[in-house]
Amino acid sequence: MDVPMMMLGALVILTLCSLLSFKYRDLGFYGAIVAIIIAFLAVSRSEPNLIYYSAFIFAIGIINLFSLKVIKSVIQGVDYGLVALMVLATLYIFTTQDLAMILVAFVLVSVPTYILVMIREGGANVEVGIKYITFMVLATVLFLMGALILSYTKSLPDAGLLYLFGYVMLVVGLCIEVGVAPLHEWVPDVFTSADPIPMSIIASLAKIVPFIAALWILIYTASSLTASITIFTAVLAAISMFTGNIGALTSKEHARVLAYSTVANMGYVLTCLVVVINPEPEFICFALAGGLLMLFANAAGKIGFFNAIKGEGAFSPLMYLLAFSFIGLPPLMGFWGKFFILSSLVKVGLSLFEAGYVYIALAAIVVINSAISVPYYLRLARELGVGWKANLTNFICIAAVIIILITVTFLPVDWFFKGMAVIAQTMGIAI
Amino acid sequence: MNEWVFLLLFLAPVVSSIPIVLAYKNKEWTEKLPYLSVFGIFVSVLMSLLIFFVLEGQYRYDWIPDLGINFVFMCDYLSRYMGVITAVIAFFIAVYGLDYMKGDYRPSWYWFFFNLFTASMLLVVYSDNLFLLFVGWEGLGAASWGLIGHWFRDDDDIAYVGEAGRKVGPLGMSWPPSFGGWRAISTIRFGDVPMFLAIAAIWALSPTLNISEIEWGTLFATIGAAGTIILMLCILMGLFTKSAQVPFSEWLMTAMTGPTTVSALLHSATMVAAGAFVFIKLTWYIEPWHLHGVPGLESVYVLALFIGLISGLYGALAGSGMLERKVLLAASTMSSIGLMFAAAAASFWIHEEIAGMNLALLVAFWYMAVHAFAKASLFLVSGHLIHATHSRFLCGGLEFGKRMTPAFIVTIIATTFLVGMPPFTAYWVKSGMDEVMEHLIHDLGIIPLILLILTSVVYAGIMAKFLSLNFIKGDKPQHEHLEGGGLMKVGYILMVSVLFLLTILIFKNEETEGFRQAGYASVSIMVGLAILLAYVVGLVKPRISALSKLGTFFNDRMYLPFVNDYILPKTGFFVSHLVNEYGNRGIDGLFNTKVIPGLFGWISRRIRAIQTGYLSRYITIVLGIVMFILVIVAVGGVWL
Repeated sequence: MDVPMMMLGALVILTLCSLLSFKYRDLGFYGAIVAIIIAFLAVSRSEPNLIYYSAFIFAIGIINLFSLKVIKSVIQGVDYGLVALMVLATLYIFTTQDLAMILVAFVLVSVPTYILVMIREGGANVEVGIKYITFMVLATVLFLMGALILSYTKSLPDAGLLYLFGYVMLVVGLCIEVGVAPLHEWVPDVFTSADPIPMSIIASLAKIVPFIAALWILIYTASSLTASITIFTAVLAAISMFTGNIGALTSKEHARVLAYSTVANMGYVLTCLVVVINPEPEFICFALAGGLLMLFANAAGKIGFFNAIKGEGAFSPLMYLLAFSFIGLPPLMGFWGKFFILSSLVKVGLSLFEAGYVYIALAAIVVINSAISVPYYLRLARELGVGWKANLTNFICIAAVIIILITVTFLPVDWFFKGMAVIAQTMGIAI
Repeated sequence: MNEWVFLLLFLAPVVSSIPIVLAYKNKEWTEKLPYLSVFGIFVSVLMSLLIFFVLEGQYRYDWIPDLGINFVFMCDYLSRYMGVITAVIAFFIAVYGLDYMKGDYRPSWYWFFFNLFTASMLLVVYSDNLFLLFVGWEGLGAASWGLIGHWFRDDDDIAYVGEAGRKVGPLGMSWPPSFGGWRAISTIRFGDVPMFLAIAAIWALSPTLNISEIEWGTLFATIGAAGTIILMLCILMGLFTKSAQVPFSEWLMTAMTGPTTVSALLHSATMVAAGAFVFIKLTWYIEPWHLHGVPGLESVYVLALFIGLISGLYGALAGSGMLERKVLLAASTMSSIGLMFAAAAASFWIHEEIAGMNLALLVAFWYMAVHAFAKASLFLVSGHLIHATHSRFLCGGLEFGKRMTPAFIVTIIATTFLVGMPPFTAYWVKSGMDEVMEHLIHDLGIIPLILLILTSVVYAGIMAKFLSLNFIKGDKPQHEHLEGGGLMKVGYILMVSVLFLLTILIFKNEETEGFRQAGYASVSIMVGLAILLAYVVGLVKPRISALSKLGTFFNDRMYLPFVNDYILPKTGFFVSHLVNEYGNRGIDGLFNTKVIPGLFGWISRRIRAIQTGYLSRYITIVLGIVMFILVIVAVGGVWL
């Protein structure tokens, strides 16, 4: 069976189980797991090089599902289905070359979070929901418009101003969606007011698809004007890194520290988009591997820390390991993310000769920001770290730590990077 | 095949001492395993003999060929002899140590570092590559620290140097083992760093780091007079500190806090000898007598010559006032090493070659060989005496001497063979040295020869004093413990017997022809007689009460400890006080307390101040930014 058919099957199971979960609560959970397994098998069988990517998404999705068990939401059962839907879209995105399907995946990851963000024990967090949804709608509209304009310019002999508008709208939409400064205003408020468990999902799983979609569209539509406008992305990335890291330095509330950490991390990942200035597969594979590992490290870290907040602290060594990964200490996953991002920046910078110094400078900014982030991550680990207790949040933290520790035993140069190098060959070829 | 010889040579001592390290908690095993360590050294002896008789020339094994850092070993005249000397002496001392170190509180520590010491010296001896040589050099430093401070608990006065409680001005004149170890490593590091820089400079300037292949003349010409002087001074800093030449000699005196076996090894074939040996080896290949056109080189050799001669006289004079067995010998070693430096440095002005080798370098090297066996014997005897009398001060009359006959006879042989009294071993070598210094009259005047003769005379006196005060005219020991010590006797008897072999070699070998000729020269005979006279005077009158004040001054090493223990530390504390009080305040203010933290705190608060919680405000900001960007793009796009 091909991927769309299996995906469709997974969706049917998901929908039925979500419906039935009103009567049999556990069914939603098991249905979600079955759907994710089917989607994982479908994707990894159709493209063997995607197995590592799929495995990470699968792991993050499963951890997210388990973490939902920590709270008793009013829509328990359906919430599993929403998370599984996001996982399905995230798994699906690499298997399609259709712009419409990519945008569908983008929306499918975005919309479930509108509901998830309002989840809290015994009610709905409407105020947070309004703030969040307002910005998400704006972001989605800008992103979709940008994507459509860009793909339209592909058919024009001389796109000019239209290309620039499309590019900027897409990037600005992405920035609002994931929370890149200076368009990050919703992030600190939502991260602090919402329940930590749904936040751990929004801060982890929901960030992956927008980047892949944006990178794909930008590579596909790259033109002679890309060189002049890419600096815009670089400036936003630099602003976001500084704003996030410096903002976190004096924040006292843990969730707020994590909010600014997200702003900074999205800045790191945004730097990957500058690769479109010279969209050769040899550079794209670095950006792709770096961006994804960074997103995975961010996802694992956010899941661990938010669950620790929910559980009023978690086992101290786990907290420190997550903090070290965020800081970028080798050989944890956070290091490899930054390493590949820096490699892509330096390689692209060098390939442009004198015009490329800006991007090498951007690489230096990434390094400086990693240093700035050290104090607050360590503070976070120290304050959230407690003794060992055998509870669900601690087990979820262990799972998150296992993800960031995988690169200790298996250097991603050998497997993840090679897989992404193959995927990079196909990116943007045809939509 | 040859690589196995080198592997066994260097690794056998180290590997054979690992079991005793692993078994450090098991008393039963630590009593047996020293035999294995000694066996490891014995393997090195066999390998060094194999090299002596079979191998010749350079042997190269790649390590980091791109950087010119390789395992390159040179089996030339110097290293083949010195390798055997080192291994044999280490082996004899190790056999002695089996007895001497029995019942010690940390045998694992001792045997590991003792064997590492031997292996490191062998590496220094055979290495042709400067980097590899430096590895052995640092091994010597580390092992000497471990061994000098072996009795780190400082709980037994027998291991101290100096008189407990005695003070000169603000300075205490007593040094415990832990301090001795620290002093050794700190002094040596002071010289090692410039030496390492010099090796780095050679690495940058020369296509190879192999001593025998470096084009020294070209290298010196490239860097000019100032460059040559700086480079050679940096190397000499390493050599002088290691060989305890003035003003870096203090560590050697307090190194006597280590076990006597360590002192014996330290003074004969390793450590202090390493500095002089490397100087001889470098000069051997630099061939300065062919480089008189190189500006700056002569000043370097003048410096080495006079530092050597002054150290020689200083050491002999200091020894003349000393009453501690081992410290007296330490001062005499410093004196001998000084003479080796002086003789080797004199090669700059000596063109006389025998069998293709420079006379001055041969003199320096053969003096090193004779001194090594004689001094090692004396140290081993001292160790036995310290065990027997339980005193580190010179004591023991004729009665006692009769009861310690082997030690007595060994001391007589070692001292007479060492001082340069005709017709014993060192006389022929010293005659060569007299001739070398006589040659220098033309270039540098008579001072070098006078300094040499003065040193030799005082030296003979202190050796005789050592013999006399230990076995003939010393006070009766308060404590006598004469049982046992079989292996100790074997150790020093074997050691001293090599001196006879050396005499035979001097008369048989082709290259020592020059020594024999010099021995019959009138100047040499006169010097020899003066030495004999001084020896007899020292024997008959080992202590002259009229000169006791001068003796105390010499015993206090002419107050040189002030430099090490007072002036340098005070200066250091002053500088660290400045850095701490003023430097740190500035750095703290910038990085830790005020400027940068303040700036970051302010920006951070500004960033967080955006979050008022009102949706309308956020929408205004975000939409404002979006609109602004779109306008800018529109304007920019039209302009583009």
